[in-house]
Amino acid sequence: MDTIVYQGLTGLTAAMFLWLVSAGLTIAFGVCGILNIAHGVLYMFGGYFLFTFYQLLGLNFWLSILLTLISVGLIGLVMELGFLRPIYKEPIGIQLVLTFAFVWIFDDLAKLAWGPVSKIVAMPRFFEGFIRIVGRPFPIYSVFIIGTGIAMAVFIWLLLDKTWWGKSIRASALDREMASALGINIRTLFSGAFVFAAAIAALGGALSVPLRVVGPGIGGAIIVQAFVVTVIGGLGNLKGAFVGALIVGVVGAFCTLYIPVFEMFIIYIIMAVVLLIRPQGIFGEIR
Amino acid sequence: MRKRKITGLVIGLAVVLLIMIIVSFVPVTAAPPLKQLPLKKEVIKIGGQGIFSGPNAICGRSMMEGARLAIEEINAKGGILGSKIEFKYMDCELKPAVGIKNARYLVGEWGADFLIGHDSSGVLMAVGGVMPELKKILIGTHAATANYNERLVYREKNKYCFRTASPTYQDATIFAKVFAKKFPEVKRWASINCDYEFGYVNLALFKRAMKELIPDVEFVAETWAPFWTMDFTPQISAVMAAKPQGIYTSPWGGEGVQLARQALIMGVFEDPNVKLYINCTGETSDFLMGMSNEIAKDKFHGKLWVTGRYVLTQNDLPINKHFVKTYAEKYAMYPFHCTEGAYSAIYLIKKVLEKSRTLDVEAVIKAMEGMKWDTPSGEKWIRPEDHQAVYPVPIGRPVMDPDYPLMPVVKDLHWVPVKEYYRWPPFEPSIDEIVKAELKR
Repeated sequence: MDTIVYQGLTGLTAAMFLWLVSAGLTIAFGVCGILNIAHGVLYMFGGYFLFTFYQLLGLNFWLSILLTLISVGLIGLVMELGFLRPIYKEPIGIQLVLTFAFVWIFDDLAKLAWGPVSKIVAMPRFFEGFIRIVGRPFPIYSVFIIGTGIAMAVFIWLLLDKTWWGKSIRASALDREMASALGINIRTLFSGAFVFAAAIAALGGALSVPLRVVGPGIGGAIIVQAFVVTVIGGLGNLKGAFVGALIVGVVGAFCTLYIPVFEMFIIYIIMAVVLLIRPQGIFGEIR
Repeated sequence: MRKRKITGLVIGLAVVLLIMIIVSFVPVTAAPPLKQLPLKKEVIKIGGQGIFSGPNAICGRSMMEGARLAIEEINAKGGILGSKIEFKYMDCELKPAVGIKNARYLVGEWGADFLIGHDSSGVLMAVGGVMPELKKILIGTHAATANYNERLVYREKNKYCFRTASPTYQDATIFAKVFAKKFPEVKRWASINCDYEFGYVNLALFKRAMKELIPDVEFVAETWAPFWTMDFTPQISAVMAAKPQGIYTSPWGGEGVQLARQALIMGVFEDPNVKLYINCTGETSDFLMGMSNEIAKDKFHGKLWVTGRYVLTQNDLPINKHFVKTYAEKYAMYPFHCTEGAYSAIYLIKKVLEKSRTLDVEAVIKAMEGMKWDTPSGEKWIRPEDHQAVYPVPIGRPVMDPDYPLMPVVKDLHWVPVKEYYRWPPFEPSIDEIVKAELKR
């Protein structure tokens, strides 16, 4: 039982990083209708900017996170205004090709800016150490990650459900024309939604680097998992993204423990089963 | 008007004459006719491939730097028998298909006379497989699968493949040999391994060697991680649930750094049960630099053991001192096995061409088989049966050393004679048979 609890918590930590990236991906698709393959590079930039502000410039950790969100949010704004806005109504194939091009462009830009070697960020002092859970040391930082992931889920739910902005977002996602007729500035709203999505992905990247490393290509690695999460949960559905992330993270962790031979492809098996039984995803709706 | 024309003409002729006089004093060394160059080429072209992005990008970069260092030294002294060396490198992106495509380009379009490099065993095997078609020599400088020398060269008679870096025997068997004597009480082992050929072969050889030396050894947990694994915490958690005394790991480069960091964060090195943690290629600069704070603070409590295909502290030979010093001055870090493998490969090519005095590939292959040459690792010998360089490298523990201020180095060295840990022809049982027998896959 102890082993199950501990492994479950380990999987939960991994799930929270996936949730943060998937949440942004879901918002971008659900609101703007953009299937953004380049979302993973926004996660990567989150890691790089935190490295720059916190490790290189020596700023306060929390200030570094705030500056990272702003920086990547601005990158998201440029992407949306300059490249994505003109293709909102284009076929999905065009979106995929353009956003895929961004993956390569941003990867090479990251190499130019930060070099090809992976960067490491020291764990903030106040997060060093561990607490005992079921008699085993569990990192304090992992507790923080789990808490942040859950807090972000609550925050996004409150934002979308209880604020005027959130209601406008949901209305526009359902019916753009009607929302526009009611006086909602769709363009500004979409830009705001995309910037918000970029910032969430950046948060995932920024929080990951004290535990992992950041380097070119990590965006590509995480976006694959994020897509699996959104397919399982339902494309465009935030509740689905959260549950999908939990499934991928926790099931992956238990597979590593009990059937390590299948660890690499278990999530793809789950995705395939979901697609066969319920193609719109667990919480998705048929369009 | 006529006067002006004549004056202009005279001035023009005078300028031309002056230029001719000046030029005549400039020593012109005409390039020797090609037929006078023993190798019949002004430029020997060497193409290199490695990983240039992602968590292991330092490997490709180091290969390039090591090759360039050797080439600059050789060209400065007149090249190889009067022929200069030109080097071009490409990123294989960790993909066999890209590696093959690049190899075809380097040989077919760019005109490479030799190919070197490769950090990924999968890519090395793939590219090695097309060398008989390209009819050029490939020298592996890092990727370590024993199937490259045992299967491709020895069994399949692929004579175009060579390797200057030690194979997976270095990552596995030597640890078993040392620990069976030094830590015979450590009998419960777990592993976190790369979920591809390198990891399978390493663990299989390690398990086999440990079972031969300590019959009651137990392997209590085996976990796997594919390329691009960023989060090893599930693997670490699974391994620690089995309460091991020793942990064998093979993720390398940036992934090795992540794994070790996460293991520290999860309290692995604080666990009194855990006595030994192996990073089988932890001698690399990115690992040592990435862990330098933790090494300086002794966070590993002496439990971390590493090796590689070259340990810069393994000898005091002048060639090694020169190599380390020159590289450190140029790049503000120390070389590691990717650098040394490429550096050695260039000097191997030099020595072989000086012996063969031709670029004819059959003659060069013949000259390369059995060649001994001096390298920063010491003398290496190309074993004729499988074209594998044979040379000993120790294992040790990373520490801070005031003699090496740039980053931690490996000390507390333990040696085992190569005869005792290298595999030898006829390589029975085969690596694949050992992997099948030892792994639960």
